Amino acid sequence: MSEFRNFENHSNDQFNFCWVIALRAEATPLIKAFNMKNVGNKSLFPIYTNEETGHALVISGIGSVKSAAAATFLKNQLKIKDHSAWINFGIAGFFKGPIGDLYQAIKVVSKESGAAFFPGLRLTKLLPASILFTVSKPENEYKEQVLYDMEASGFCEMAPIFSCNELTYVIKIISDTPNNSSSLITKNLVRELIEKKLPKIQNILAEIKILVEEEKKRLLIPNEVMKFEKRFKFTETNKYKFRETYRKWKIAFPTKNLELSEFLNFQPKEIILKLENELLVNAKDWTVL
Amino acid sequence: MIETIFFEEQIAEHPTTERIRKALPRASWIPIERYQELFNKRHQNFKLQKKNPALILAKKHDNFVLPAPSGFGMESYKNFYFSHMYNCLYDCKYCFLQGMYSSANFVLFVNYEDFFKAISDKIEEYKGRSLTFFSGYDCDSLAFDKLSGFADQALNFFNDFSNVELELRTKSIAINSLLQRRPLSNCVVAFSLSPAKIAKSLDSKAPSISRRISAIKQLAAAGWKIGLRFDPLIYTSDWKQLYASLFAEIMDGLDPSMIHSISYGPLRFPKKMYKKAASLHPEHKLFAFPMEETKGVVSYGTKIETQMHDFLKSELNKYTSEKKIFQCTI
Repeated sequence: MSEFRNFENHSNDQFNFCWVIALRAEATPLIKAFNMKNVGNKSLFPIYTNEETGHALVISGIGSVKSAAAATFLKNQLKIKDHSAWINFGIAGFFKGPIGDLYQAIKVVSKESGAAFFPGLRLTKLLPASILFTVSKPENEYKEQVLYDMEASGFCEMAPIFSCNELTYVIKIISDTPNNSSSLITKNLVRELIEKKLPKIQNILAEIKILVEEEKKRLLIPNEVMKFEKRFKFTETNKYKFRETYRKWKIAFPTKNLELSEFLNFQPKEIILKLENELLVNAKDWTVL
Repeated sequence: MIETIFFEEQIAEHPTTERIRKALPRASWIPIERYQELFNKRHQNFKLQKKNPALILAKKHDNFVLPAPSGFGMESYKNFYFSHMYNCLYDCKYCFLQGMYSSANFVLFVNYEDFFKAISDKIEEYKGRSLTFFSGYDCDSLAFDKLSGFADQALNFFNDFSNVELELRTKSIAINSLLQRRPLSNCVVAFSLSPAKIAKSLDSKAPSISRRISAIKQLAAAGWKIGLRFDPLIYTSDWKQLYASLFAEIMDGLDPSMIHSISYGPLRFPKKMYKKAASLHPEHKLFAFPMEETKGVVSYGTKIETQMHDFLKSELNKYTSEKKIFQCTI
């Protein structure tokens, strides 16, 4: 069923932003702006990527279940790493205009199940915040002072599992209000509304990227560690112990390198022991800075 | 500055909520049912959340007052603690709050009156006994006070119970609410302190040591009893010199009679908390020291702990009587 071009060659470290978008009309301005290429149009959900700009995008179709499924599909197909940001972006109804305004949903409620989600770190300086209701049928009455969409709750159910809640974002652009009926929404209108906001979207992404980079750094397994784990057979317990001891050792001796050649005749436990001993000797001259 | 406030609908009109609403009119106010639906969610990233935490206003329903862990306080018949707030404005690397909750958001329980009722009940239960109530166990007692107004209400309450003691534990210099009123003889304002060089590296977002010392001296001059808390003790190659200088700086110009008590305690983490804190700050030297683990507790080990204990005790004895000094052992 799935047909992926060059899938095996993807360097998935590069995907800082994973977009989950319901409609092609909503996705197209972003696909163009970030120069993404189709990598699996005949798969369950169309996927677009650009490793250089760090973007991956999946088109989910309408509905919260599809949004959750498409996010999961993207995660699995591209083996997205834990530090990536997940963004559900698209149009939404709102109780007031003007259309074209961007909002960050900081509380997402499934009107079907009543479940509430609180995605993302607040991007206060860039976006106003709102509550969002995910509904199963288009909302035309705008009874409450909230955003209305049909996907976000499904997305919020899954995306935090892939990275974390603070890297899960629901960003919506107002497309219909009591004075601008949803029946007036066209592909062209959607495209125009989104294109106008691209500079703002770039600013939002710059802010999110700071968090992604911080998380990437925190979760990074250094090449030196990878080399040792490839060369030696660590048990799971010793692997954890080795990583922890290496982390400490590297902080204590930031300019030193762990050379494989010095450990060729060592057993995994002996490697750990050697690093621990060096740390102990160094402890006498310990500083906290 | 707090930009987002989640509030339980049941306390939307509580006076404390109203007070905060007036103080933060521009914040986004988002209703919730119960604070746990947000605070206890899985997959939260404490470190990222700490960059822009939200305030959650909630109602506490039970467990208002709890027995303090043994080894926490001095010689009262019973020690209790209460937490009108979870989490702290500051981000001190060694703090157990780093590993305590999955969320970095602040929870403020606005129903102070229920805390005071529970405290009255305890006082009644232990009538005639010496009791100490500790605030600032799951939060900083004063750091949020401009917004919460908690200290003022707590002091009004304890003013009527001169036979029991209240300890406000803090790193904050927000002491105006104290300076503007008459000191309470049964209230101890206890400051957590480390040598400046250590605090600069570990006490992120907290006031500098010199500003804390200045706050101590202002409070003491105004007649407030002072507690000095050197907890946790942090090891460095020059720790003796650093702690000795810190004590000298604090005591310079401070009336020793205003010191209620001095305590110190070793750096200790339950293993699970240590792992969590280290994973939040994997690059920090505090979590690179070759710590020892005994019975699920991660520490510097007996040798260093004993050296630090002996030195602190003898050094502090130079400034105050031995009976005012105690070691916190939790």
